[in-house]
Amino acid sequence: MIKRPFFERIKPLLYLLPFILSVTIFTIYPIVNVIRMSFLEGYKYLTGDYTGVGFGNYEKVLADPYFRQALSNTFKYVLLVVPISTAIAIVLANLLNQKIRFQSFFQTAYFLPMVTSSLAVGLAWRFMFNDKVGIINYVLNLLGMESVNFLGKSGGNFMAVVIFGIWSILPNTIILLLSGLQNIDPLYYTAAKVDGAKTLRIFFRITVPLLAPTIMLVVIINSISTFKMYHELFPLFNGPGVAYNLFTVVYYIYYEFRVLTPPKYGLAAASAVILLITVFIFTMLQRAVQAWSRKERGEDVKKTKRHRDALR
Amino acid sequence: MKIRLENIVKRFDDNTAVNDFSAEIESGELVTLLGPSGCGKSTMLNMLSGILYPTEGKIYFDEDDVTFVSPEKRGIGLVFQNYALYPHMTVLENICFPLEIKKVPKAERIERAKKMAELVHVESMLNRKPGQLSGGQQQRVAIARALVKEPRLLLLDEPLSNLDARLRIEMREEIRRIQLETGVTTIFVTHDQEEAMSISDHIILMKLGVLQQYDKPQYLYDQPANCFVADFLGNPPINKVEAIVRDGKVMLDNGETDSTIRVENIPDGTPVYLSFRAESVILDEKSPLRARVVMTSVMGKEIITSFVLGGKEVRGYMNSDVELARDQEIGISFKKSGVFVFDRESGERYL
Repeated sequence: MIKRPFFERIKPLLYLLPFILSVTIFTIYPIVNVIRMSFLEGYKYLTGDYTGVGFGNYEKVLADPYFRQALSNTFKYVLLVVPISTAIAIVLANLLNQKIRFQSFFQTAYFLPMVTSSLAVGLAWRFMFNDKVGIINYVLNLLGMESVNFLGKSGGNFMAVVIFGIWSILPNTIILLLSGLQNIDPLYYTAAKVDGAKTLRIFFRITVPLLAPTIMLVVIINSISTFKMYHELFPLFNGPGVAYNLFTVVYYIYYEFRVLTPPKYGLAAASAVILLITVFIFTMLQRAVQAWSRKERGEDVKKTKRHRDALR
Repeated sequence: MKIRLENIVKRFDDNTAVNDFSAEIESGELVTLLGPSGCGKSTMLNMLSGILYPTEGKIYFDEDDVTFVSPEKRGIGLVFQNYALYPHMTVLENICFPLEIKKVPKAERIERAKKMAELVHVESMLNRKPGQLSGGQQQRVAIARALVKEPRLLLLDEPLSNLDARLRIEMREEIRRIQLETGVTTIFVTHDQEEAMSISDHIILMKLGVLQQYDKPQYLYDQPANCFVADFLGNPPINKVEAIVRDGKVMLDNGETDSTIRVENIPDGTPVYLSFRAESVILDEKSPLRARVVMTSVMGKEIITSFVLGGKEVRGYMNSDVELARDQEIGISFKKSGVFVFDRESGERYL
């Protein structure tokens, strides 16, 4: 009599146990540990020894020119890739949303980056970027422009990463925007057309404002993922670019942790925490903007009204 | 503006939505396209707006052939069933939008929009978003947006069906007032006969894509062209009793005949309906038509009595100073108006 209710009570917990365990071991514990490591100076991973506790790691990281460059590269990368890819995706999603011939062909073509290995695709891009035999420079030459040494030492290699990065996040972005577009009542378009609005005006005055919540979501998701930019570097340059000019924050973490001998665990952890805080602040900012724009549209009022109607 | 519709046909694949539709609409009138769902009234409206083009036939606005002219070149204002107000724009911006498209200077735009807002009584909520308005207020804004560019023709597609009953009556009176004040030729689509009766100059009643009758509301009610028209209009609905024609008179299934109801040149044995309005029933002890009372119910100032006539339960407004008991036998005769005889198959009217 007593045993049964007890078992019934813990049954849900048992069902949840695998999830709780895996999250604790693989997510919560590492986060806590990284934060702890970031405050331990001269930390040795294998022995667990350390020489002191404090902000020493943070001071060192912030003073490191490599880290500063990594941070500035990352910010430049995010600020270029996110807006450009979002703009391209809005246009492409709009085109894909129309009834056109070969629609399924185009949808497949645009979603291809999502299902292919970024490493394999990156190698293909590497060939395309080649300054002697690459197709991109061939086209540039045809257009009468000079070859760009995308993979060399110049600023061209940053451009190459940005182009590759934009291309990689397009499919996800397009899918999200497409679902947002399909939620817009086609009646708004009919109403505007009856009044004589042309395609461009409809796009900027109706489609984009109504798509704003989805655009905001896409920008947040893409900002977070591009802040963590790292693996795109390998297929193109085997690492952070020629002479390390393409250090990103995540690559810096990897570098401190894995490439350096002896590794500087504390520095790696501190830079990881800095990245975490940066992304957090960035996301909060965007959410604040989103909340503000929602209020502008008067959506909160509608929501409470709907709530009231539901209670009736 | 005068509208002329000549032999309009609209087919979707195999399905004919509108068939051989011809009508003329006088300038400055409010005409209602009335009919049950699927009767082609919305299709007809969409052809008037230019959202759809007819398969056959011609549409004239005054003397211009606009059959295949695109919507924005027709000079029409359109109000949708769910208003289609842009949710991200304020009331003022919504009303201004058609003028913005026409590249009207901003100051003039705002002035004209404000004037419209006053006409429809939303001038106090110009800076609100549609989500902050009630259904009736949204409806007003939608009408203002449709009227602001001074269209030659205002089209309203079931504009009241999203409103609750009380607001619906208020808004239909408002629509009529706005229409009379502006004098704009207006076409109003609805499936609600009461709505149509109360605000229209003329009603076009449709069924399965075919025009049934085009008349003044009262005439439609008093002189229905066929059985469908009589059935569609009126509340309570018209009473229908099965009968056959015998010697130019109408004989109920139980053999009773009222000799005052006569049809001419109809062969004996033709199956017909004897249809009559509830208000046309007279209590008449001497009448050969016998009925049995089922129940009486008091509805405000009127008493409505249900009784069985010719095997069918029907209803009538009776003289209120006679008290009728359940199962009491009564005699029934009819007033001159509101009594019709229709062919049971074709619906053709014989009386």
